Amino acid sequence: MHQLSEVECHRTVLTFDERIASLYQTKLKHTQEKWEAIGSMDFDDHGLVLPEPESRLPIQTISGSGVPITDILLKEYSIQSNHPSGGVFGPRAVGSNFRRLLELHPTYIDPMSSLAGAYRVNFMSYRNPAWNPDCAYPHLEPQIKKYKLIPGIGAVQHFCQDLSIGLTLGWGGILDKIHRFRTINVDDEAQALYDGLEATVLGIQNWIGRHGDEAARMAAQEENPQLRQNLIEIAAINRKLVTDPPATFREGLQWVLWYQIIGKMYNMGGSLGRIDQLLYPFYQRDKFKNMLTDEEAVFHLASYLVMDTSYMQLGGPDENGVDQTNELSFLVLEAAHRLKIPANIGVSVGKNSSEELLRRGVEIQFADHAGMPKFLGVDNTSEGFTRNGYPIELGRQRIYSGCHWCAIPGREYTMNDCVKINLAAVFETALNDFLSDENVEPSAENLFACYEKHLRCAVQATAECMDFHLDHMYNDFPELHLDLLCHGPIERGRDASHGGVEFYNLCLDAAGLATVADSFAALEQRLDREKRLSWKKLKETLDANWSGGEGERVRLMMRSVPRYGHGGTPADDWGIRIAQLFTDLVKEKPTPHGFNMIPGIFSWAANILYGLDVGATPNGRFAKAPISHGPNPDPGFRKDGAPTALANIVAVVQPGYGNTAPLQIELDPGTVRLENGVQLIVGYIRTHFELGGTQINLNIVDKQKILAADKDPNRYPDLVVRVTGFSAYFGSLSPEFRRMVVDRILQE
Amino acid sequence: MTGKIFHIQRFSIHDGPGIRTTVFLKGCPLSCFWCHNPEGISVSSELLYNPDKCIGCGACLQCCPNGVHLMETDQHILQRQNCTACGKCVQECFSGALEIAGLTLSVEEVMQEVLRDQAFYSRGGGVTLSGGEPLMQAAFSRAILQSCKEHAIHTAVETCGDVPWRQIETILPYTDLILMDLKLLDSDRHRAAVGRPNERILQNARLLAQQELPIEFRTPVIPTVNDGEELLALAGFVTELKQMRTRAGIAAELRWEWLAFHRLAGDKYKSLGRAYRAAALPLMPLSQLQELRKRVEREYFL
Repeated sequence: MHQLSEVECHRTVLTFDERIASLYQTKLKHTQEKWEAIGSMDFDDHGLVLPEPESRLPIQTISGSGVPITDILLKEYSIQSNHPSGGVFGPRAVGSNFRRLLELHPTYIDPMSSLAGAYRVNFMSYRNPAWNPDCAYPHLEPQIKKYKLIPGIGAVQHFCQDLSIGLTLGWGGILDKIHRFRTINVDDEAQALYDGLEATVLGIQNWIGRHGDEAARMAAQEENPQLRQNLIEIAAINRKLVTDPPATFREGLQWVLWYQIIGKMYNMGGSLGRIDQLLYPFYQRDKFKNMLTDEEAVFHLASYLVMDTSYMQLGGPDENGVDQTNELSFLVLEAAHRLKIPANIGVSVGKNSSEELLRRGVEIQFADHAGMPKFLGVDNTSEGFTRNGYPIELGRQRIYSGCHWCAIPGREYTMNDCVKINLAAVFETALNDFLSDENVEPSAENLFACYEKHLRCAVQATAECMDFHLDHMYNDFPELHLDLLCHGPIERGRDASHGGVEFYNLCLDAAGLATVADSFAALEQRLDREKRLSWKKLKETLDANWSGGEGERVRLMMRSVPRYGHGGTPADDWGIRIAQLFTDLVKEKPTPHGFNMIPGIFSWAANILYGLDVGATPNGRFAKAPISHGPNPDPGFRKDGAPTALANIVAVVQPGYGNTAPLQIELDPGTVRLENGVQLIVGYIRTHFELGGTQINLNIVDKQKILAADKDPNRYPDLVVRVTGFSAYFGSLSPEFRRMVVDRILQE
Repeated sequence: MTGKIFHIQRFSIHDGPGIRTTVFLKGCPLSCFWCHNPEGISVSSELLYNPDKCIGCGACLQCCPNGVHLMETDQHILQRQNCTACGKCVQECFSGALEIAGLTLSVEEVMQEVLRDQAFYSRGGGVTLSGGEPLMQAAFSRAILQSCKEHAIHTAVETCGDVPWRQIETILPYTDLILMDLKLLDSDRHRAAVGRPNERILQNARLLAQQELPIEFRTPVIPTVNDGEELLALAGFVTELKQMRTRAGIAAELRWEWLAFHRLAGDKYKSLGRAYRAAALPLMPLSQLQELRKRVEREYFL
């Protein structure tokens, strides 16, 4: 895309494509600024636009993926703590502090865009400590430490609102709703929540209103008549949206954008859901009135996507199983295609889903090499959900709205992607315990029995942690943003984490499957069967992290057994067995407080972080090296890296209760150049889902380009990759994250 | 029944339509100097050695009954003439520096691997037999193809065509697509390039063209070998085959594809301890190849 010249910018009429090109260039500029001010960003791009340089306050903090990062705060704002620790806890204090941030949060208006607003600073970064020290959990800590659990205590968002509530009520209507129920639910918990919610809405209204004023001010100074008109419209739309619900497609998008940006500011929320359904009535109405062309709709959507990377589902069934793909589904894809920036858009693929939409999605993957869209096995996630005892109609309403996850909009609290069991860490604990017991004959089979015992303990301890979270979260950091658009929190006066919504299905994911499967296979083959090494000697070698005279040869010996994912190997059998064990243990019983748990297999990109906690493992992995990614085999699992072998094993290990175990796949552009390449990959995707798969994250990447970009990220500032469930600029990633992506692509 | 296989490639997408598994059989009557599967030429199993992976542990020296491996001043030397490809050293080589090209597998073992991807074949994919020359193991190839058909799997055979027609005939009932190489029309030049004349190949091509079976002739366009007028001559031959086919009232498709030369096989030659003569050949830019193709198509209305 070309940079618009001064002359072009001042021409009377700019085309939509020229304006999209300008949005793209602005996005690259923002990204460059972030590289310079923040450094590596190992997470979702989020559409963050840094505050103006004079307002920036850099701080050192810990990123969402647990690595030290620089974050940028707003100089003008500071927290008003309500606790000796300096923290801010409970709905009233959180709400009033967030309101103050909204009232100070700088405005953002790009005259080239049809929409106003940008996420510029994160409220969470001001909250230190994030968890109230009065609410400690020493009774849980020994197990957390022992198994290196990711227990989810204090986890935020990761469930999905129902945006139709907001699109119907508008902020004025939501405020009225709070006022109405405030008089009905008069208990302390409810009243505190209402105070927090009301403060949040008032802050939001202030912020939106300021954009209306700012747009009017900018319009008065704008010389280009087309852009001036655009700014006048932005001013009118936003002055209206302070209270009223949206009426047009553009207003609807602007409303959703406000809501999503506020979610990012509040607690990095990113669930969107079915944008093609939510906005379809607006689109149809505008089209019927001849107020909107498809080209204009694409432009509005591009104006949206450049500011928000939220997770959304296109197409897919309604509650009766009828596919809901519509014109808007294609326009959303088209807008993302024209932008070519990080975007998290999933295309539904099922028995009744649109072949045309899938085909278009694959074509865009081939054309853009930007990891977009991803593909959603909607039949398997909805049918799997019924195994928790729910009707299929409800399963179909559970939609894709986060990194690897689905939720029922506005009705379900999930803790998706927040709670993990590092299978490799549990394995390490089990191995140490096993080898310290001299009464047991060492063998892979006996070790598995010991592993089962420890994994059961880890699952139970995690369940207790989730109960603890659900007991206290509302009074620590309530979901003031998501509560506003859920069915129940306002009506009941209860935070979504504390009885506010209808369904509680808590996500519990396993991480490191291949690491453990390959370890069992290596032990079985090299120690039990071939007797090349004693268990004692192996333990010493592991403890020494494969150092010493024979260390490297032993490591290669353990590493060179046929691997998980190869197809038909003992390691495949171990992988299937471990995945089944994990699933069975999660489904053995609910949490002690009776909450349903749903198993999945997904490490996010935290497999790097989780690896830091684990010593050398018998699969030839070094201490502190990353554990395996999601349900994927480790790179090098087959010499030919056959994508079909990958798809087979990931389909087989699915837990099958409605949560996912996503297939991460990197394809060479050589596939793309085949005359039937699109059809081939369409077939591949469909077959994986027919075999039981739930989600596909696909990258089509040129090896040479990724290697060159790894060496010098500045040479490829526009290279986008799907890191895992999320996509990002490759150059924004830390060297460790880049290495992970490179290793996957090279398969070595 | 058993056969000698040097690779089974899943998600094979360049050897026939759709997603396929390609089974590579050992042994080829030709010896094209540019061959990108040199480990498939000999009928016997061979030891491959990749020095980049060798960690110098010396385990191969200790286990080899024939003294194939020598370690001289940190250099791992192979006395290949003594090697029986017994594979003992490979079992001890955990770095993967040593490998055997050519495993003896039963039809059932091949099918077990082939069937792993059966679900992916249903959308226009299937199984391809390649090599080497699969018809040098005609009975084994036939058995695999027959088993594939029993599983309703689409089958393709990639052949150089230099085998007795009676062997080709045996596989036709179980073959859905023939992929056949045509390299040069001039027999002397053919012999010079690949070590064998081409009369039998051309005769087999004519006979195949008379079968009610889709055929894709493939010509690897090799600089200095067949990158000029030779292609026009081949085009004349393909046109003749097409006309013959039309006269016989055969509706099945007959295509002619060109394959661009690449130099990716260098490491394989190194692993076999052989010289890679094609390393010196220039690469033809894709645009030049396309231009050539257009010219040939214009002249022959292909």
